[in-house]
Amino acid sequence: MSQIKRESPVRFGVSPKAAVVRDNWTVALEYDDESRGPWIVDLAHKIRWDLQDGNIGELSACDLAVPPAPGQSVLSGSTLINRMNRIQASIWHLGAETPPLPDGTGYTDTSESTAFVALFGPKVFQLAEKLTNLDFMDPAKAAPFLLQGPFCHVPCQIVTLQKSADGSGGFLLACSRGYSDSMVHAIFEAGAEFDLRPAGENRFNGWIEGLQG
Amino acid sequence: MNRLNQLPTLRINPSEKLTLSYQGKTFQGVAGDTVATALFAGGVRIFARSLKYHRPRGLYSLDGECSNTCMDVNGIPNVRTENTLLKNGMTVKAQNVVGSANRDWLAFIDKLDWMMPAGFYYKTMHKPAAMWPVAMKRIRKAAGLGVISADYQMKGNYDERYLKAEVTVIGGGAAGMSAALAAAESGQRVVLLESRPHLGGGFDYRVTTGADGKPLYQRARELAAKVEQTANIRVFKHTSVVGSYTNNLITAFQVGGPDDVFCERYLEIRSESVVVASGCIERPLVFDNNERPGVMQVGCAHRLARTWGLLPGNQAVFSVGHDLGLEAAVDLFDLGLQISCVADAREDGQNPELLLALAQRKIPLLKGWVATKAHGGKRIEKATLATLDGTIKRQFAGDLLVASAGLTPVTGPFILAGAKLSYDSHTGYFLPTELPAKMFPAGRLTGINDPAAIEASGRLAGLKAAVAAGAGMESAVVDAQAVLAALPGPERGCKLVTAPVKGRKSFICFDEDATIKNIKQAIKQGFDVPELIKRFTSAGTGPGQGGIPGHNLPLYVAKYTASINTPIPTTMRPPLVPTFIATYAGYNHHMFKRTPMHDDQLKDGGIFRNIGVWQRARYFSEDFDCKEEILNVRNNVGMLDGSTLGKFRIHGPDALKALQRVYVSDMSKVKPGRIKYSAMCNEDGCVIDDGVVVKLGENDYYFTTSTGRAGQTIEWIRYHTRYDGWDFNLVNLTDAMGVINLSGPNARKVLGKVVDIDLSNEAFPFSGYRELLIQDTIFVRAMRLGFVGELSYELHVPSSYMKAVWGMLKEAGAEFGIRNFGVEAQNVLRMEKCHIILGQESEQRTNLLDVGLGFLWDRKKTDAKTVGAVALHQAEKDPGRLKLVGIRMEDDDRPARDGALIVDNKVRGYVATMRKSFTTGQAVGMALVESQLANVGTRLEIFEDECEGVRLYARVVQMPFYDPKGERMKN
Repeated sequence: MSQIKRESPVRFGVSPKAAVVRDNWTVALEYDDESRGPWIVDLAHKIRWDLQDGNIGELSACDLAVPPAPGQSVLSGSTLINRMNRIQASIWHLGAETPPLPDGTGYTDTSESTAFVALFGPKVFQLAEKLTNLDFMDPAKAAPFLLQGPFCHVPCQIVTLQKSADGSGGFLLACSRGYSDSMVHAIFEAGAEFDLRPAGENRFNGWIEGLQG
Repeated sequence: MNRLNQLPTLRINPSEKLTLSYQGKTFQGVAGDTVATALFAGGVRIFARSLKYHRPRGLYSLDGECSNTCMDVNGIPNVRTENTLLKNGMTVKAQNVVGSANRDWLAFIDKLDWMMPAGFYYKTMHKPAAMWPVAMKRIRKAAGLGVISADYQMKGNYDERYLKAEVTVIGGGAAGMSAALAAAESGQRVVLLESRPHLGGGFDYRVTTGADGKPLYQRARELAAKVEQTANIRVFKHTSVVGSYTNNLITAFQVGGPDDVFCERYLEIRSESVVVASGCIERPLVFDNNERPGVMQVGCAHRLARTWGLLPGNQAVFSVGHDLGLEAAVDLFDLGLQISCVADAREDGQNPELLLALAQRKIPLLKGWVATKAHGGKRIEKATLATLDGTIKRQFAGDLLVASAGLTPVTGPFILAGAKLSYDSHTGYFLPTELPAKMFPAGRLTGINDPAAIEASGRLAGLKAAVAAGAGMESAVVDAQAVLAALPGPERGCKLVTAPVKGRKSFICFDEDATIKNIKQAIKQGFDVPELIKRFTSAGTGPGQGGIPGHNLPLYVAKYTASINTPIPTTMRPPLVPTFIATYAGYNHHMFKRTPMHDDQLKDGGIFRNIGVWQRARYFSEDFDCKEEILNVRNNVGMLDGSTLGKFRIHGPDALKALQRVYVSDMSKVKPGRIKYSAMCNEDGCVIDDGVVVKLGENDYYFTTSTGRAGQTIEWIRYHTRYDGWDFNLVNLTDAMGVINLSGPNARKVLGKVVDIDLSNEAFPFSGYRELLIQDTIFVRAMRLGFVGELSYELHVPSSYMKAVWGMLKEAGAEFGIRNFGVEAQNVLRMEKCHIILGQESEQRTNLLDVGLGFLWDRKKTDAKTVGAVALHQAEKDPGRLKLVGIRMEDDDRPARDGALIVDNKVRGYVATMRKSFTTGQAVGMALVESQLANVGTRLEIFEDECEGVRLYARVVQMPFYDPKGERMKN
């Protein structure tokens, strides 16, 4: 009988140097020669929920209040909540745990729906501007914040977690799972001049921890 | 040719040698050379021949304002070699020549100009009509610039960037750099675009000192260093602006250097405000033979020496209308150029210091004089100078005639953004009077020439732009205004329009060989507006984009027509500077979706086709009739990847109401453990989607849509419930769940080896729905469907587990000979069963009733509850609609093509799908026909494209063609 194993839609074409199996996912912890960045990290195994409610602005999820206005995000610990529109928010769990879906109505587990990657490191926003006209560096917005729009022509949810004037920082990107191959190919093609490398979860965790002091 | 290698202004690296080949010879240039300057250094003076008359053409402006130096470089025609940096090993060819640029066999056409007056192309050779095709071919062969093969594959990488900035500055001269620095003080994001490979603009090559005693080139380098060190200024050199649009969207392209990963890069900049500091180009001086090799503009001659270390000639005559001309004469004299005479079209107003410098060097100066003719064939040998009224003439020997009527501002970005230009009688410029919102002019294009004033105007514009973008720098603006006001303002410009010549060989547009005489001819024929004359004579429609005639044409028209109105400039359109289509194409990433089983199917021989946004396996062998795939499903068991189906969850207190609104059936009848097939219509009753709905729990449903509609479903439902205030939630799970369609008489046996639920027909009947766990881990939604007409299970599996479940089924089915089947096999299988595919058996006007799905419609629901119900009620009474029927060809070996027309003396319908059915041995299909032709037994006449009069014939038959009682799929 075939082995029960989960497959990420994101493929980097190289095998990780260190990996761990978690909830049937093979999670890459580290790659050979991750270099000095920018990096791309596959986060397919991270739990994502969709929350919809007519009074969503008054709700909390995982002890975090849903941000009051569309486009706003809040990050605390390993939980990121992004207010998408009048009635909807996405909740992304960036840690290793797999929290159970709350019983309350309005929640749907959408972890399988999207390809989910982190892009961070030096010049990462210069890389991004080759693929989208979304403004990650908008001085009027403080990170984290959510942008919803085309990235390489594909509708995406993108959360800027860190930005600095020299174009370094990082963001999380979620797009329809089916676009994963095309998206990763486009990102690597655009990132070639910046020496974009795949990185493992360890580097991602370090970055997230660094963001929160 | 020896270079002036020690000049501090040089932009070349003489120690880095580069070569190119031209006319079978190897030419040597150095790093920093353009292709044209390298050829010039190698002694080339004729670079091309003109479009119409095949006149020799040489270096003229160095900024690509005309096609004089357009050549074929590495197989690409029309490359502006004066803007193209030399790369080692380039192969260069002259274009538009028969023979060579030096010896062109078509040069005799120059003497036939009398045969080609303005507009001749529109008026001659039309009678007799038979002559026109012959003449047209000859004319087109003789004219044109360069030839490219239709099969030519563009080499290199073409990049793109989408920038955001609060302030964008167009022009990297002293004004532009000052503007960028001033704007950057606000902390805002500033983008600076410069068309040349280096910053500096009009200061870059000049040794004249500014108010601080520093040479201008040194000041430019200081500013450039400061700009490049400022973190919030992004500098794009060798970047030409091509478009300027509403809301300050600026488009440009950057030419890649040796260290760049791209050949050209398209830039699109969304900016809050824009500073246009694009400077001036020179206004060509119009006289006889004003485009002869050896005639060049002031900046061209000056920059050849100062930027590339190449003396433009040995002995020169100057005919100028601006102090820059006098400054160049002095400087070039000091660098070793002999100067016979300087004619200045201005009677007065010259800078006294420059007059003194000329006198100290004993360079004769004739005020109020102008060149009237350049003498010589392929190169000039002497020039005639005359007084402005032409009464006195003198000739001066020389191989170089430096000629310029003055300056003209580069206002393209303003024009494209919608600014109104009007003639300014003081400067003689066309200047913007109604500026677009948040666009600010700066520098020389405003008419100022004083170096300090140029910088000050840049600073002021930069501060204004920053304020317009939201910075609080109002007091700095006031200060900058005061500084500028204390400096010299715009200078009086030279008003000379043409030298006193008849104009037969005085070219107003080099690209199109349009002369002053042509303009006169057009005016005499009634064209009195520059915009119309431009079209009739082609002046300004060549690759230079009006760079040469843009200013002179309206001036000349106003003068020649003795218009009492001020001159009216012609308009401009993007791209302001020509570039490759490949640059606009950019990466051209092919973005498409793949299912989780894409690679596995590829390994199994899948042949993929794009279907909407997805790539799907259409065939699994080179047999595109799919006989084996089809028969394996009919007789055994097959597996289809149906992951592209739209899948949604709708939940919340009013979820059922929303379903009732968009589906034609009564959705309250969806029972737990059962699926309900239904359809959605638009307001016209036309069927737009179909799928199944299952109930997951109280107020919680899961439903599928067709692949093509998945992207619009949420908007569709939200739109049709927008006024109701209903409380429901919709989640698109299309990508979250993969779908495996397991079909065939052995499907139950295969699935039974993988799951541990009772699969008997009683426990899991047709139209049943079950939720199950595979190995206590993988959650699966299973449905008993029968789209292909066999026992079928549709398994909805989390996408990340698809590969695992697919592998299990494959392993379990091995003993039965399980194999993949693709979309084409599915298409035939369902067609045999007469199950429709929307879009295949329907088109935009086909309603629910036409395709025989009227049984889905619950007429008891009030019409207002169901989208399309009102229209369906009306359509029910309409006898003239098309009807879906089954048809069988009279010749079973010759199925008609999908889309073939059903005709008699007019079109009566069309074939929706038809195939040779391997199951029945018949050529059968479905067609939409007028209702009069829908009776069983009716003979149909079929027309196919390219049938050459031979019609096919079919008869209407009963549907379905296979298992009419549905026993196979239900048992």
